[in-house]
Formats: sequence, structure tokens, C-alpha cells
Amino acid sequence: MAYKKAAKKYSGEIREVTLGSGDKAVAIGGKNVLPIHSFDGNVGNPPKIGLEIVDIVPEDWHDDLKKIYDGVLEDTAEWAKFAVDNFAPDFICLRFAGADPDGKNKSVEECVETAKKVAAAVDLPLVIAGTKNVEKDEKLFSAVAEALAGENVLILSAREENYKTVGAAGALAYKHKIAAETSVDINLAKQLNILMNQLGVQNEDLVMNVGSAAVGYGFEYLSSTMDRIILAALGQNDSTLQMPIITPVSTETWTVKESAASEDDEPAWGSSIERAIQMEVATAAAVLVSGADAIIVRHPKSLATMKTFISNMLGSGLN
Amino acid sequence: MEKFMVIGERIHCISPTIRKALDARDPEPILKRAKEQIEAGAAYLDVNIGPAEKDGEELMQWVVELIQSECDNVPLALDTANKKAIEAGIKVYNRSKGKPIVNSADAGERIDNINLAAANDAMVIALCASEGIPADNDERMMYCQQMLERAMEAGMEPEDLLFDPLFLVIKGMQEKQVEVLEAVRMMSEMGLKTTGGLSNVSNGAPKELRPVLDAYTVAMAMMCGLTSAIANPCDKKVMEAIKTCDMILGKTLYADSFLEL
Repeated sequence: MAYKKAAKKYSGEIREVTLGSGDKAVAIGGKNVLPIHSFDGNVGNPPKIGLEIVDIVPEDWHDDLKKIYDGVLEDTAEWAKFAVDNFAPDFICLRFAGADPDGKNKSVEECVETAKKVAAAVDLPLVIAGTKNVEKDEKLFSAVAEALAGENVLILSAREENYKTVGAAGALAYKHKIAAETSVDINLAKQLNILMNQLGVQNEDLVMNVGSAAVGYGFEYLSSTMDRIILAALGQNDSTLQMPIITPVSTETWTVKESAASEDDEPAWGSSIERAIQMEVATAAAVLVSGADAIIVRHPKSLATMKTFISNMLGSGLN
Repeated sequence: MEKFMVIGERIHCISPTIRKALDARDPEPILKRAKEQIEAGAAYLDVNIGPAEKDGEELMQWVVELIQSECDNVPLALDTANKKAIEAGIKVYNRSKGKPIVNSADAGERIDNINLAAANDAMVIALCASEGIPADNDERMMYCQQMLERAMEAGMEPEDLLFDPLFLVIKGMQEKQVEVLEAVRMMSEMGLKTTGGLSNVSNGAPKELRPVLDAYTVAMAMMCGLTSAIANPCDKKVMEAIKTCDMILGKTLYADSFLEL
């Protein structure tokens, strides 16, 4: 008997969400099969990779990484432009590390100015990330959402504690996209989406950040959570879980000891910058095959490696 | 592992309001009930126009087009003894949200409705009875087999048949209840989809007890594998039972607001 290829069909699909505006807008999501299972059906938009930049000179970043941006670190808008011109990411993640009340505690007004300059300097979609301090982020996101009205940025992110303010300002008032963030908690991920819907935020304006972890640091738990979310979205056609997923990788991988330990402390481990890139790439690739539709990395080499990986995995000849 | 499918039962000519609206071709009461049921969680709506011997074809087409055009092409179960009316309804039916369901065939005089469904690429409710109530599960399962074979011969996929074990009234036929549940289990173990008229079980019981009887029956039947029911989605207790069972059975993912979905 001739071999008959069986395709796994699902009743649901991940929604497509567009970030940014104009020619450089990017769409994420749209798949109706498991990640990169192009032999089963439509894999949707290829995963998009963004580069992270921050609003202050990042003292805690690896020297070799800072060297790449020598001369532009002092000016966030210049930095953004340099990153776009030289490394061609799919989007820029502007993280307001400087707004952290435990750090430089920059004012919301200062941050808004920075956001406006960056938005003017680059035409790629922006992802606006905060400080992880829920009160500060609430104020920061509301003000930045207003200042960037029309840019269709992704606000990263709304959490259980501040989703009402962030959702109302970000999506309802100023028509941006919102990432609903939970910490590797499948039931809360679903619940937060439902709460967002009840607030009036449309599913079309929602992305999920279901948490992140570096490989070796609870990654299996993250991966199984993503699996279960995607299987519920596709297999159970659960519309409350059909949002594309964005996963910030850099904020996890650069602080673990494999990346952060100095060459003096761990002479046997080899070049510290190579190790850090490897951790970032290994995590990003693992997150991608777990189902992330957008990923944020820090090193341009990680970006380039991931872009090659995606085009090889999803390019022609694999079906 | 699909979610339990509720086929809303409230557009039925036994209701004086619906009877009157059907006779007068008055859209408003029919659409009101359609929308209420969809809002409450019905996946399909049953449309029972009665025997409709005189104007069945025209009436079924009118009501199918009315409901689907106003309710985002909600899928329907076409429920009448008039075969020509069912065929007429299917002719104008929009399949974008699901195939039409022929309600119903049985193993007796109405077995040809299986062929009607097959010829029209429809689903069909296959009532495991021939004349009257089956004496036992041997008889039920024999009918189930007969109808399955008839459908396969006609080229249908088994998943397009919804086998109905015939739910029976508790008040009066209490001794039959476990048998019906066992029939659901046997059909489920054969990989077949099942359905049934849930509110049969509470017929004749005081109004305040009907939701209780229906809710517990559907919960026990779901444990036996029941995949759908013709039920009243506006009955809060029944819907709570179905949503909770779907979750316990792993067919939906838990979230604190699960009853609100």
C-alpha cells in the first residue's frame, strides 16, 4: 500500500497580531499547527526576533557587548538607529531600566521624551518594556502610550496587579497592543486574558508573555506551559488562549552563571562573551520551538543566529 | 478531546410562542431565543418545526435563513418528521460554522434519514430505538450497529453520527437510568459520538427540581463519555455542570472565570 502522509489538523488557530505601522509593520502569529510543524499545515508568520536596548548606559552589560554600541550608548535614539541600520532586527525592544525606583528612578516625563525620540529615529515596531515595578510601570506605560499614540507599539506588559490601568490606557485609549504577562502559570495566563476581555480589550490587541526562563533554570516548566497553552488554543479551540506569544529571553539568560561568571573565576569555561551568546541562542531556539511568535534578544550575534535558524527551519525544502 | 457540544432545544414548536411565530412568520420571538441560547453557550441550535406537513419546505427554509443570517451562521439541527422540509432546509443552509444535523433517524421507519444525511453531507442524530423504548442494552446496541452499518454503506464518516441512547424519564422509569448511562459508555468505547434529549429525564418533575435532575444526569453521562446533548443552555445549573465536567475531564483549561465563558 502506498504511504499516505497523515497531517495533524487542529480546530483552532493562533490569531495574527500586527505591531508597528506603515511599511515596517510586522505581523506575528497566525499558525494553525504546532511550532514549525509545516508538514501539518500553516505555520503562520515566521517568528520575529527583536533587539533589546535600554534607556540608560547599561553598566551591568558585558563589556564586549557594550563595545559594539560604542559611541551611541549615551543616546538611546542613536542607539536604536544604529541597531536597526547595522543588525536589521524585526523590531526594537526599548526597556526602561532607568525608570526603576530601585535604580536611577528616572521620571516618567524623561522616559516619555526618550520614547518619543526613539520612535522618531526608527520606523520598526517598538516593544516598550518596563521596570518590573508594577506601580512605576503602570504610570510609565500610561504616559508612553499617550505619547506614542498611532505608533501601534506593544506594551510589555500588563500584569494581574496593573492590567486595568495598562489595558485601559494602552489598548482602549491609545490603540496599542498589550502583552499580558504571567509567570509560567497556565491558569493565570488564561485568567488574565479573560480579565482583559472583560475590561474591553479585544483579543486582536492582545499578545501573551507567559514567562521566561534560561535553559537549565526551570526551562522545562516554561516549555511544558507553552505546550499546554498552544495545545489548548489549537486543539480545544480555546479563544482565550489564541494570542501570539512574545518571550523576553535576554533578561533571563545574561544573568545566569554560565553567562555572567568571569573568565578569572571560571577559566575552564572559555570566553565569557561566547558563553553568554550561546546561552542566549540556546534559550531563544528552545523558546522558538516551544511556540514563541516573537523573541527578544540582546546580542546582535544572537539575532543573526536566530534569523538563520528560522530561515533554515522554515525555508523551502522542509515540507 | 473536543468540548461538550450543547444543542439548544428552545426553538421548538411545542412552545406556544414559537408555534405562533412560526405560523405568522414573525422573526422576533425566534431570533430572541436563538440569541439567548447562543449567548448562554449553545454550539448548535435545534429548530423543531413540528410535523409541518403542509408548508414544511417553505417554513424550514424561512427559519434556517432567518436564524443563520441574523446569528453569524450558527449551525443548526433541522428537526421535523417532514423529510422534504429537511432537504429544503439544507439547500439554503450555510455550512461555514458547521454541517447541518438531521434530527433524527432511528432504526425503524426513519432509518432512511441516515441516507438523507449522507446524500446531503449532513450529520445525523441516530436514535437507538425502533418501535417504542428498547427493552435493554442488547437491543439498543443492535440498533446502534444497524445504523452505523447503514451510514458506512452510504459513505458517511462515523464522526458525523450522533448516537442517542434515548434518555428516559426518571420519575417513572427510575430502574432504566443506569442502563442508559451504560449504553453511553458502550458507544463511547466504540469511539462513537453521542447525544440525547437531556430534559427527558426530568419530565413531570416539579419545575424547581428539573435543573437538578438534568445537571446531575448530564454530569454522570459525561463521565460515561457523552459528547453532546440537546438541552436548554439557558439553564444555569445544567451549563455549570457541563462546564465543570469539561474542565475536570481536561477538555477545557481551568481559569478562575471558567463559568463566565
